[in-house]
Amino acid sequence: MDHTDTIKRFIIEEFLPDLSVDELPDDHDLLSGSVIDSIGTLKLIAWVESRFGVQVDDTELNPDNFRSVASICAFINEIGGREQTGTRGA
Amino acid sequence: MALILACLLDGRPFLLLPTGLPDAQSADLAAQAGCRAVFDPEGEPLAAPPLDDVPTEPLPSGTTFMLTTSGSTGRPKVVPLSGDAVAAFAAWAGPAFGLCPGVGVLNYAPLNFDLCLFDIWSSLAYGARVVLVGPKQAIRGSALLDLVLEHEVSVVQAVPMAYRLLLDAAHERGTVLRSVRHAVFTGDTMPEHTLSGMSALLPEARMYNVYGCTETNDSFMHEYTAEEGAGGGDDPAGPSIGTPLPGVGAMVLDGRGERVEGPGSGELYVSTPFQSEGYLDPARREGVFTGHPLGSDERRWYRTGDLVRRDAYGRLRLVGRADHQVKVRGVAVNTAEVERVLLAHPDVLEAGVAALPDTVAGRRLAAGVRRAPGTGLNSLTLRAYCAQYLSRAAVPGSFRITDDALPTTSTGKIDRTALGATPAGAHKTVTT
Repeated sequence: MDHTDTIKRFIIEEFLPDLSVDELPDDHDLLSGSVIDSIGTLKLIAWVESRFGVQVDDTELNPDNFRSVASICAFINEIGGREQTGTRGA
Repeated sequence: MALILACLLDGRPFLLLPTGLPDAQSADLAAQAGCRAVFDPEGEPLAAPPLDDVPTEPLPSGTTFMLTTSGSTGRPKVVPLSGDAVAAFAAWAGPAFGLCPGVGVLNYAPLNFDLCLFDIWSSLAYGARVVLVGPKQAIRGSALLDLVLEHEVSVVQAVPMAYRLLLDAAHERGTVLRSVRHAVFTGDTMPEHTLSGMSALLPEARMYNVYGCTETNDSFMHEYTAEEGAGGGDDPAGPSIGTPLPGVGAMVLDGRGERVEGPGSGELYVSTPFQSEGYLDPARREGVFTGHPLGSDERRWYRTGDLVRRDAYGRLRLVGRADHQVKVRGVAVNTAEVERVLLAHPDVLEAGVAALPDTVAGRRLAAGVRRAPGTGLNSLTLRAYCAQYLSRAAVPGSFRITDDALPTTSTGKIDRTALGATPAGAHKTVTT
């Protein structure tokens, strides 16, 4: 699923309130570009967990999963797919 | 850790680089310190610094640890410490906090912080057990709580933020930390709402506020009385840093450079048995590492930049800074330097930075920026720009970017208080 717009809207609301959705490139490095710091990463994880109904393990706190809008989107799809097969046996 | 121990045993000097520095700054620091190899625990060793183009000062004899100042911008300074200074510090810290075999000591600070001279290196020197906090655990209260419980930690030294995280996690889980016997608050002012929860969280602990800096290591300590720990410590006069540690010289000079004897206010100068003899770069020692300001002794004195008030009992309280320095998550940041970086951006016409109180970080920076017309400069661009020149803690937490002039005071200076007063919802500007 493509969650790009949803993720962008959250990041903009939390960290870049002066931007519009089309001003944030999918591949912009949010970590080295100082958009999100360690506390911001926690906020983002909490949001991903509640918005997408998934559980992020401590082992998945790899910064590369949260580096850009594109990587966050890929990560959500990855853990979302895993949980669906796990819980529903589909 | 093994590498550092090996250097210590072999008498080799070594530099501990902060993480999250721009590569160019790391390379510059390594070159200043004359490093022949640079190692990164999480990646490839960095390329050897280009020693040829940087004039390297010979290290002071006996240098072991080399730490750095946080340097909110420009070049951070290298602080060399002699083996004697480190040993003198351990000889105080070990007995003072009962460090001995079997005792668990929590290490919260990253390895390059001077705080590790206490919680890692003094602990190891006295045979205590060091409980390391990983970078991911450091920001998760529940993980931090598990570490303290599981390893029966009895000595904790950390910045106020760590205690806040522990307090919230313990509250949520309905538990307290009985194993902790000594709790040291350092690096920043302990907020009242955190302090007031401490005696319930740490029922068996003696609690201390310790004051120091990378250049001098710890120099003052205040032990909280039972009443203060229970929440009576909110003193509008400012947090008490107590009295000098054994062997520490302290002096308060007023605005005219005269010594304040007895009760009174002024800037604090210290001289400690644990201190550095000065920054590696001699040009940067000037005015900071000095002889006795009044010429009364031969010791090396350090000008702290902290304004203090001494009470009738000889205890000092912090009342402010002589410059624009604030602490963000325990890291010293100079707001004037952050402003200078912003102003150097070609599309920035005016910039002001305010430090606002923050429950978790202690302080957070709010920047106000007036951009040049038609440039469409936004916070995404400015953040990436700041990241090139500033340490992480010095990049403002919020940006308010406008096409209009920033608010000014009656004297025509940018009104930083007004920058801070802007509600979050008002940050948006129309971009065209």
